[in-house]
Amino acid sequence: MGLVKLTIDDREVEVEEGTLVIEAARELGVDIPHFCYHPKLGYDANCRMCHVEIEKVPKLQPSCAVSVTEGMVVHTDTERVNESHKSVLEFILANHPLDCPVCDQGGRCDLQDYSHRYTPTVSPFEDVKRVFDKEYFSPVIEKQMNRCVSCMRCVRYCDDVIDAKALAPTGRGSSTEIKHFGEHQLDCEFCGGCVQICPVGAFTNRVSMFDYRPWMLKRTDTTCGYCGDGCQLTFQTREQQSSANTIIEVQSFHGTGRNNGDLCARGYFGFGFPNHDARLTHPMIKKDGVHVEVTWEEAIEYASQRLLEIKVQYGSDAVAGLASARLTNEDLYVFQKFMRTTIGTNQIDSSIRYGHVNAAIAMKQVLGATRWTVSYEDIVQADTIVLLGTSLTDTNPIVGLKVKEAVKKHEAKLITIESIVPVIQTISNIATLATLHLQAKPRGYGAVVLGMIKSVIDSGLENVDVCNRYPEYIQSIKQAVTLLSFDEIEQASGVPADQIARAGKALAQAPQGIIILGQDVLRTAGGFNNTLNALDLLLITGKLDHERSGLAVLTEENNEQGALEMGVVPEYLPGPSGTMDDGVVDTISEKWGREPASGLGLRLPDMIAAARDGRVKAMYVVGENPLESLPSSCNVSDGLAKLDLLICQELFMTETAKLSDIVFPACSYAEKDGSFTNSEGIVQKVRRALDPVGDSHPDWEIFTQLSSFMGFPMDYESVKQIQDEINCFRPSVNEKVRVDRDVLDGFFKSATSGESIMQRYAVIEEIVDQSTPLTLVVGQSLFHSGRMSTFAKGLNAIQDKGELLMHPDDGSRYDVRDGSLVKIASEYGKAVVPVKFNERRPQGTVFFPEHFKRDIDAVLSMVTDPLTAVPYCRIEQVSITPVHSEA
Amino acid sequence: MPAFEKILLKNMDLPGYTGTLKQYEAAGGYMAIRAVLGKMSPADLTDIVKRSGLRGRGGAGFPTGVKWGFIPKDHPGPKYLCCNADESEPGTFKDRQLMERDPHQVIEGIILASYAIEAKKSYIYIRGEFFLGAEILNQALSDAYEAGYLGKNILGSGVALDVYVHRGAGAYICGEETALLESLEGKRGKPRTKPPFPAISGLYGKPTVINNVETLANIPHIVNRGPEWFMSIGSPPKSPGTRVFSLSGHVARPGNYEVPMGITMREMLQDYGGGMRDGKKLKAIIPGGASAAFLTEQHLDVRLDFEGIAEAGSMLGSGAITFMNEDTCMVWAAERLLEFFHHESCGKCTPCREGSMWLLQILHRMEAGQGKHEDLDLLLRLCGNIEGQTVCAFGDAEIAPIVSTIRHFRSEYVTHIEKGCCPFRDNLKRMDDVDVL
Repeated sequence: MGLVKLTIDDREVEVEEGTLVIEAARELGVDIPHFCYHPKLGYDANCRMCHVEIEKVPKLQPSCAVSVTEGMVVHTDTERVNESHKSVLEFILANHPLDCPVCDQGGRCDLQDYSHRYTPTVSPFEDVKRVFDKEYFSPVIEKQMNRCVSCMRCVRYCDDVIDAKALAPTGRGSSTEIKHFGEHQLDCEFCGGCVQICPVGAFTNRVSMFDYRPWMLKRTDTTCGYCGDGCQLTFQTREQQSSANTIIEVQSFHGTGRNNGDLCARGYFGFGFPNHDARLTHPMIKKDGVHVEVTWEEAIEYASQRLLEIKVQYGSDAVAGLASARLTNEDLYVFQKFMRTTIGTNQIDSSIRYGHVNAAIAMKQVLGATRWTVSYEDIVQADTIVLLGTSLTDTNPIVGLKVKEAVKKHEAKLITIESIVPVIQTISNIATLATLHLQAKPRGYGAVVLGMIKSVIDSGLENVDVCNRYPEYIQSIKQAVTLLSFDEIEQASGVPADQIARAGKALAQAPQGIIILGQDVLRTAGGFNNTLNALDLLLITGKLDHERSGLAVLTEENNEQGALEMGVVPEYLPGPSGTMDDGVVDTISEKWGREPASGLGLRLPDMIAAARDGRVKAMYVVGENPLESLPSSCNVSDGLAKLDLLICQELFMTETAKLSDIVFPACSYAEKDGSFTNSEGIVQKVRRALDPVGDSHPDWEIFTQLSSFMGFPMDYESVKQIQDEINCFRPSVNEKVRVDRDVLDGFFKSATSGESIMQRYAVIEEIVDQSTPLTLVVGQSLFHSGRMSTFAKGLNAIQDKGELLMHPDDGSRYDVRDGSLVKIASEYGKAVVPVKFNERRPQGTVFFPEHFKRDIDAVLSMVTDPLTAVPYCRIEQVSITPVHSEA
Repeated sequence: MPAFEKILLKNMDLPGYTGTLKQYEAAGGYMAIRAVLGKMSPADLTDIVKRSGLRGRGGAGFPTGVKWGFIPKDHPGPKYLCCNADESEPGTFKDRQLMERDPHQVIEGIILASYAIEAKKSYIYIRGEFFLGAEILNQALSDAYEAGYLGKNILGSGVALDVYVHRGAGAYICGEETALLESLEGKRGKPRTKPPFPAISGLYGKPTVINNVETLANIPHIVNRGPEWFMSIGSPPKSPGTRVFSLSGHVARPGNYEVPMGITMREMLQDYGGGMRDGKKLKAIIPGGASAAFLTEQHLDVRLDFEGIAEAGSMLGSGAITFMNEDTCMVWAAERLLEFFHHESCGKCTPCREGSMWLLQILHRMEAGQGKHEDLDLLLRLCGNIEGQTVCAFGDAEIAPIVSTIRHFRSEYVTHIEKGCCPFRDNLKRMDDVDVL
């Protein structure tokens, strides 16, 4: 694009062609007052506030709707312009309630600021102000229509960016009022976007209503701790009367972070958990079966003594460590170093075992890299995007926005392979934007991938270059797919063969293509093989090492990629190379001054088994809660109960913590510095916004103290020191990762035996027992993330219990009414839960949010991946019978 | 009254004429498309209309052929023609008669205009309350399809056109061409910012022409009889042709009258309208629909064409002429019109949305005798702050009654203020009965 030179207020500026005058003025630091304009939204020019004088144009022009032209001369501060600005303010203020003292926007309100700037101290308006009836809107969003300036930013944001279309103006003219649809409270995505984008106080945050004045709040920029999208947000905190300070609200600013200021419900309303009353505040030791508060000195001394005893008596491998991928990189790094040196064992695992490790191992094997080879920007610019088992809006809403932007603004082709019905609701449904939607069965994603590979080969669309480079490998694939029939693929996937073929063709013919792979694949049986097959699909369509193409794996927890790169799994050491090969061990040994413990190391499911049979005597569980994460049918509690020593480091008294001998209260991420690594592999800062709650400590400090007491001091005094050490192993913090051609060549040239391919290229047909005809899927809700979010009052106000979602037709099929209780039963057990009808659920499947999993724990079972030991416990065949209340 | 041959309302004078396809054909209908489709290039047709000097009959009076010429010639995607049948301007009822009484004349115009801009789809956006008109048009369309005047291959010429009737939902603003497009797309009827103009980015972002019903009804006649013939009628070169004026108010014979443009207001009132009803004296005239500024009996000699009315300080607009007699309160008249504009302001632009409410409240007070002298200046200042500050012309329209009544009848406002009541209040009850406005 060319540059255009123009003059604004006698100053020359050169901007890109197509720039709006209001933006060009911003370049010069000239803030043209406006309400309806927002750079995220197309212009609407409705507020008429941003009028400027453009020479040779007789009428004043809205600067938000006029593009610059060469030689244009703009005046933003003439008497005529100022009169226009004043007159618009006069009109707005005529009906405005002027209730600034009780308005939470007061102090950061555009209307207030402009009024101040143009000082209209008196108004000739003496008639009757328009007053709207106050109506209850929602538990978390407060609506005060008398303050509305009808700029429609909320509606346009909800439509254009979020695609929820939950808001609409009703009425006409001066009676225009923003409402939602239906005679019930708002039931949207609760992204908080309308609150954030409202220039006045028409929409405010009800969770913190009347709790603050904006100027009282301290800002701390940090990274969200819920999903792996890695959104930048700003905690706004305030000193309370009590010693601890409190997070009052969250903001995210346009132009900042990977999220560009957009948030989801979790990010915007989920800030309440650090200040929750149930936070653990003191170390505790179990004495006579009861947890007793002790000093840190006593707790650390006791813990180190017990750990040493066990290490001496049973050997280092009798101790196992388990950490949450919600910790910071620094915490995770020190934890694995503590386990590998101080304890001296490779028995270390983290919550990435629940799924992400499938993708990591597969990508490592094939590509030599575990980070994305694409970025959010590539998604936005992609011409073809395939969503494979993502439940995108629910799990990773901000990546969802990138996909929406790609489709809506850049006309990307979108293929969704999801177990979802494309119905339009006020929670956006990504499948409704799809060029092609393949409604797969919950276990059918693998079959769709194989079907796509087969159809690409059948129609001769395989990439020529790839066939020349890896002829044997491609030959093996071709042989493998000849053994597959579309009948069995249709049967297993639930998707018609012609749709699969169209999807395969679309991907093969796209210049660029990105597959976004989600938890529904990674956390479902076959997750590892299905990831490898998805890589095959990218290979054969020529997208694997193509520019701006490739595989993007979504992570559910905020720092799963970080946990992987910090080496909190037995398979990998810290750093991007990570494997146990000698070179890495040498580098690390040199830096650490001692060799990291080697050995295969038990992985989570094996750890529990080993605890049960007495091979593991002590477990150190940091922020993880296997007792709730894994179904009770696999007897985790038996294993944990048998341990000689269970140490839990936690924010809350979880079920696992209750069993523990020692409880260390840890700081939440709001109370410490550090970094998180998001899905795409970007390392971002976490900053301390609150003083540690109670007597809690950052995790890394606890590990450091323990190691000192155990005689292997790790002398970290600050997070910075840890980061410096990490950076020795991770030279390129945020550099975009390229596919390692050597690894790629190596993999495809060695993996040609065919046998492993044959195994992977098998369609597993599900045999449905008629006694359990429904497929239960346990998955993520948009309003929660793990269990931590259930301590946030804002999110609980939106969703505070688990409901079994089912299609209304299934409801009538099984004689179940919306809102009633049902008995849900599998071969493992039964539970009673409430039902909620939702046309988005495909018939034959029911869904339950994992955050309230304990309600249906009894019906779940676990299978372990034979290759990666990922415990799969999200899908179960169940039956449903109505529970008739006695009344 | 000079001898004059009607053009648009001519067929309706034929005995028993109800506007059926047979009758229209018998009166020479659908000859124009036979002469044009496949026999004349779209550019030539556009040129003919340009040369005829035909200007839009919806209100703004933009030259029709020039508007067609704005459509990009080599645009690869679809183009659309929209017939603006959302006739909602208070006092205007000409399009209704054209559609209800001679629908095929309009349809033939649509076919020709669509051919000129190479549109394959055309929409008639008809005011929601015109259910009879919509019914008649739908019947006429289905007859036209059957006769081969519409469809995939019109009269074997290879030209395709589908026409759809879309009923509005009751908003005056949807007569504004871009709000019409929004509404047609299924969105809330609000005007768009121009540019881009509809000729470049109109319906669904495609090149689109929006023409008024009466404008389109003229096209077949221009084709049949040539642009020179059309240019010889009315008030050439700038205002050729006839206009169908809708007469209402305190006039003896209200109704639609087709006259050559350029006759005087006096001729219109006396020769066609039969003078003022009950022998009352004329006080004020709205010459072009509610959006036009008031004129007075001083203006009886202005010419009824675009320039004549403009020179007098108002506009020809939609051709709705409302006459008001000496008993009519001008403050009340302005108040009534503001009630309409306040009710119909779409609310998009701040000055119009908030201003209409404010102005109305002041006028309410004025009319009730609660006004102050300062209110007059305030009214004018607020009107000035609305004028030219909005996306569409609605803002300019809503201030016209206030500014013009204050200009011509300031003393009446002053009397209201000084007497503390409306001097005409005894007449009001009666006027409400006859429903002047």
